[in-house]
Amino acid sequence: METVRAVRQLSAVSPEAAALGLRAGQKAADALALVPELVTAQAEPEADAAALMALADWCVRFSPGVAVDAPDGLFLDITGVDHLWGGEAAMLADFRSRLCANGLPFRCAIADTPGAAWAMVRYGEDGAIAPPGGQARFLASLPPAALRLESETWAQIERLGLRRIGQIAELPRAPFGRRFGQAALTRLDQALGREKEALRFRRPPTPWFARLAFAEPISAPEDMARVTADVAAKLCARLEAESHGARRFELCFHRLDGKAMALTVGLSLPGCDPIRIAKLFAPKLDTVDPGFGIEVVTMAAHAVEATSGRQARLDAGRNATIEEGLAPLVDRLTNRLGPERVWRAAPVESHAPELAAARARPFADSGEARPWNPETPRPTRLFRRPEPVEDVMALTPDDPPTQFRWRGQLHRVRRAEGPERIGEEWWKAAIDDVRTDHLRDYYRVEDAEGGRFWLYRVGLYGDAANPPKWWMHGLFG
Amino acid sequence: MSDFRAGRLDAMRAKIAAVEAGGRGDSGSLPFGDARIDARLPGGGLPLGRWHEITGPGMEVETAAAPAAFTALMIQPLAARGEVVWVMRRDDLWAPGLAGLGLPPERLIQVCARDEAEALSVMEDALSTVGVTTVVGEAEAVDLTAGRRLQLACERRGTTGFLIRRRPFGGQARREAGGSAAATRWSAASAPSEPPAGEFGLGAPRFAVSLERCRGGRPGAWLLEAARAYDLESTDGTHPLRLVAELGDRQLAPALPLHANAA
Repeated sequence: METVRAVRQLSAVSPEAAALGLRAGQKAADALALVPELVTAQAEPEADAAALMALADWCVRFSPGVAVDAPDGLFLDITGVDHLWGGEAAMLADFRSRLCANGLPFRCAIADTPGAAWAMVRYGEDGAIAPPGGQARFLASLPPAALRLESETWAQIERLGLRRIGQIAELPRAPFGRRFGQAALTRLDQALGREKEALRFRRPPTPWFARLAFAEPISAPEDMARVTADVAAKLCARLEAESHGARRFELCFHRLDGKAMALTVGLSLPGCDPIRIAKLFAPKLDTVDPGFGIEVVTMAAHAVEATSGRQARLDAGRNATIEEGLAPLVDRLTNRLGPERVWRAAPVESHAPELAAARARPFADSGEARPWNPETPRPTRLFRRPEPVEDVMALTPDDPPTQFRWRGQLHRVRRAEGPERIGEEWWKAAIDDVRTDHLRDYYRVEDAEGGRFWLYRVGLYGDAANPPKWWMHGLFG
Repeated sequence: MSDFRAGRLDAMRAKIAAVEAGGRGDSGSLPFGDARIDARLPGGGLPLGRWHEITGPGMEVETAAAPAAFTALMIQPLAARGEVVWVMRRDDLWAPGLAGLGLPPERLIQVCARDEAEALSVMEDALSTVGVTTVVGEAEAVDLTAGRRLQLACERRGTTGFLIRRRPFGGQARREAGGSAAATRWSAASAPSEPPAGEFGLGAPRFAVSLERCRGGRPGAWLLEAARAYDLESTDGTHPLRLVAELGDRQLAPALPLHANAA
């Protein structure tokens, strides 16, 4: 049951309810009047979408090219994979038996084009297989609604007496296009294979894909570690043979009950060393619940780049290169702590001090930004949130403070430098939002004990409505 | 006869040193370039292939600004030889500031660990990596086991570790660990700077540094100045820290009147 424009209506009906004459889109009040003992449940579109995604992930075992057709369909691109099952019919049979085992109601069909398959699944015979180039014969007897048109369009087409797609296909194209719009023509051409259609695959198809299927399901942790190494070796052998390396590896365990669990590791430099990759996966294998067993494991490589063939060094260990020492360390830390916790500071051209350093990936190329000027002193520790400073005494409006209290301690300033006035980056804001009084005056001060601080003042003296405020932004040490 | 005795003694000393080294090769040392400091350190400089502890007085236990600046200055000659990994728990280390002190940011990899145990294990991992010369970590306390593990990791590749004692989020101090496996323990505090005559503003940063513990050396206290900080022409190859004065008693050091500190 769902609510559309404040009207509660049925969004889907069970076969039993359909037999009683109920249909999707019917008002809830009407349905309850017809069948008073009707059991209804609130529709959960998010949960449905998540379940469809899970199903799409599961279908990767059949083909890497899986596209989700919301709200309730899936396209599998089985070009070039059906021979693994011994032909389309055998593949469809296997697909059906596995889905049936999971207790999911479904319909499926195989055709040359996504449009034809869509039509055959929804309006044709379940499990039909259109031979190559033969979809026109299957489509001819289906209603125009099977063309994935807007409901008004197909209703209008039917009103004109065109009840079969075959009739439409025989019509002259130009008047039909003028009458029903270009969209209707496109859909017709897509279904008949006269026009190409792009599917949005859940995962972009990658040619770097390896798959291992087991005769007996596995579940022991050491077996999972071993098959990880095996599938990595299988994929990496191909990568290495073509001198390619990948930055991201995705390992997917397919359980007997149809759930697929994916793990990902990233490398800072493209690589294809199966032992290293298996080691990066090893600590994450604990998070995989094998359930009743795992029957298929797949691994895909993403962000594949050509690497120049390097010869293994004879004098390894004497003068280590980045690839040998540092890159594996960064990979280990990144995969353990998360990519946002391992970084190299990279300069950013910004006036705001806190924005002047960005976190860059350790081996990323440094951008075009100018390096920091070492002659403008910047603190060793910069607080993410400036801390308030109280009891500030300054002689004249632009003078540095003579004393201040920070973290409950009074500091008497002995020497000071400043102000360094840092204004708003007005060229980044809309012209109406720019204000000239948005500025900070930074002072570098040293107290009697020698502590060096970076303080700033927001606002100007003499502004009664907004008295200036002082903040502690960093420490020089 | 005395020659014979001296020869025997030298041989004995070498034997003891070999036993203490535990089979690892001598990793060398990093001299400060001033005999008044180097004479107090074993081997005439900061021992490499070991780990060192750096603390700060008072509020520095939480902020650890002066110890961080002092460490950054001390490891500068090492950064020229390889990568520096800085492991912290609070990500307030500001690379532009370190660049101003002379530590090149393109040599520095920063890692933010989630807790202390993780920080120590990341340190250990980094210490035993090829291509890393220096690992700086920030942790509150290191017990004997963790210290020993750090030491073993240092010995694997001759990497040098620096541990800044810090309680980054404040709170109650944990009970002090009994001993320590560190080669040296330093305490670094900011000291009032002295601008050149006729100039105003702040002078080059000064640090009141004391060597509190040192295996095979003698403790001492000094007033050091980072003479080339925030200066473009800062590549004359000498150690970035310059000795200004020797301090008699490290407890009194920050409270000394300034004219007494001037060299």
